[in-house]
Amino acid sequence: MSSPSLTLPSPGPAAARKRRLLEVLGALAIAGTYVYLVLNQPTDITGGPGSASALIALSGFLVGAVLLIVAVLPTLPASTVVLIPVALVLNIVLGQFVGSTLVPFYLDAIGTVLIAVLAGPAAGAATGALSSIVWSFFNPTVLPFAAGAALIGCLAGLAARHGMFRRFYLAPVAGFVTGIIGGVVSAPVAAFVFGGTSGVATGAIVSAFRSMGDTLLAAITKQALISDPMDKAIVFTVVAVLAYALPRRTRVQFPFIRRHRVLAGQAGDETQTQVPVTGTGSPAQPTGQGS
Amino acid sequence: MRLNPLTSLAMAGTTAVITTAAASWPLSLAVVSAALALAVRGGTARRLLPAAAAVLVPLCLSLLIVHGLFFPEGRTVLAQWGPARITGEGLAFALQRAAQLAAAVLALLVFSFSVHVPDLVAALSARGVQGRFAFVLASTLALLPAVTSRVHRIRQAQESRGLVIRPGLLHRAAAFRLQAVPLVLSLIEEAGTRAAALEARGFSNPGPRSSYRAVPDSRHQCTLRAVLLVAAAASVVARLWLDRAGT
Repeated sequence: MSSPSLTLPSPGPAAARKRRLLEVLGALAIAGTYVYLVLNQPTDITGGPGSASALIALSGFLVGAVLLIVAVLPTLPASTVVLIPVALVLNIVLGQFVGSTLVPFYLDAIGTVLIAVLAGPAAGAATGALSSIVWSFFNPTVLPFAAGAALIGCLAGLAARHGMFRRFYLAPVAGFVTGIIGGVVSAPVAAFVFGGTSGVATGAIVSAFRSMGDTLLAAITKQALISDPMDKAIVFTVVAVLAYALPRRTRVQFPFIRRHRVLAGQAGDETQTQVPVTGTGSPAQPTGQGS
Repeated sequence: MRLNPLTSLAMAGTTAVITTAAASWPLSLAVVSAALALAVRGGTARRLLPAAAAVLVPLCLSLLIVHGLFFPEGRTVLAQWGPARITGEGLAFALQRAAQLAAAVLALLVFSFSVHVPDLVAALSARGVQGRFAFVLASTLALLPAVTSRVHRIRQAQESRGLVIRPGLLHRAAAFRLQAVPLVLSLIEEAGTRAAALEARGFSNPGPRSSYRAVPDSRHQCTLRAVLLVAAAASVVARLWLDRAGT
């Protein structure tokens, strides 16, 4: 879709190094916040609302997510950037519907995972974080989960890159594993910022564990381990169905899919990486795809 | 005086941060009532209240279930049946958390329902990341109503071709697939066309952008934004310091 400009100077290696640094800083902020929260949780789990943990969870995860967006967003080609709003709308339309029903799932990541499969882990991470930030326009409670959503997008992209979407039965497995990691990382946010969960069905599961005497973080982590892997397995399956339903003409527009042979039945496409396939496309620039 | 959207965003964000950091329910309730008063005065209350209720009602119910009924750390038992114990500490914890979350949610919602989106986009689209972020925000807000109506049209089209949603998980999944696939296909097709059009207009070229829309801004507002950001940071630092001194 987008070709490198012939008249404007292309960004030098210094800019690329700065972006890489921002990416690393963002990942470090998220990982550091999580480790700090888990190590320090027993002292102030019920230390009252607004305790230091809530603020650390909020600021650490948000700063990490924003750094990731700042690092990734400028490197994405325009064909990926225009897909991000589409993904956000899919997340919101489907997530808003499920979030209000009495099912302990969220299904709020279909768009994010779809972009990750089509355009790679970096695009997936940016979409996840942006989705939380833009969605907080209507529902501010999703804002603290930006880091978790970015992680889901990144993991989905990595799964796609390593061929987990080539076999239909592997997609739910990849979703299950992604859900375990994502749920464990998001649990401290739910515990410290909200002191619970945002849905009634998930709240019921948490209270079941609480009645057995678990601490709040343990109860919410167990709830996340029940809900999230199932949820992400469903999401990955839905995305696999959608991705295979795309016509070939649309699929081959995405360099990430061609280069890493993300979907089955694309073996013949290697010859086409050099040749524009659609009328609108020139060989798309690979920057930011799959990095 | 019309406020710059960034100024009102800074106000809402700082209010949310300070209420979270202060964690006192009188302040939270004050913020809630101030936000409601602002919404009524701005004439956005009719749209804001359903949105706020959709977020806050499940959240508060969940908090009441989790902490009101099961709070192993609680001492003052008010009622008990089976494993469920209503404790004073649990109820206090749930109410305090609910008040604080309601304050933060309402402060941010008052901003997002009162802001003029084209102004916000113009204020954000200076260059680089901000420009792309502004595109994503504006494009999502414009797509949402269009997509909702398209979902409706696709359902009608499929129903006219004989789609009947029967009970049962498999039937529902099949019906979902029949509606989701055309929706996603058309959205991705359109995105490709839009990418070509944007690219032809220099979307990913570096350099400063100019805007036809002039957003009011002044030195005072700029100073105010800086002061608000410093205040938010200071409240976080003060909270952390107090907690450290307390333990």
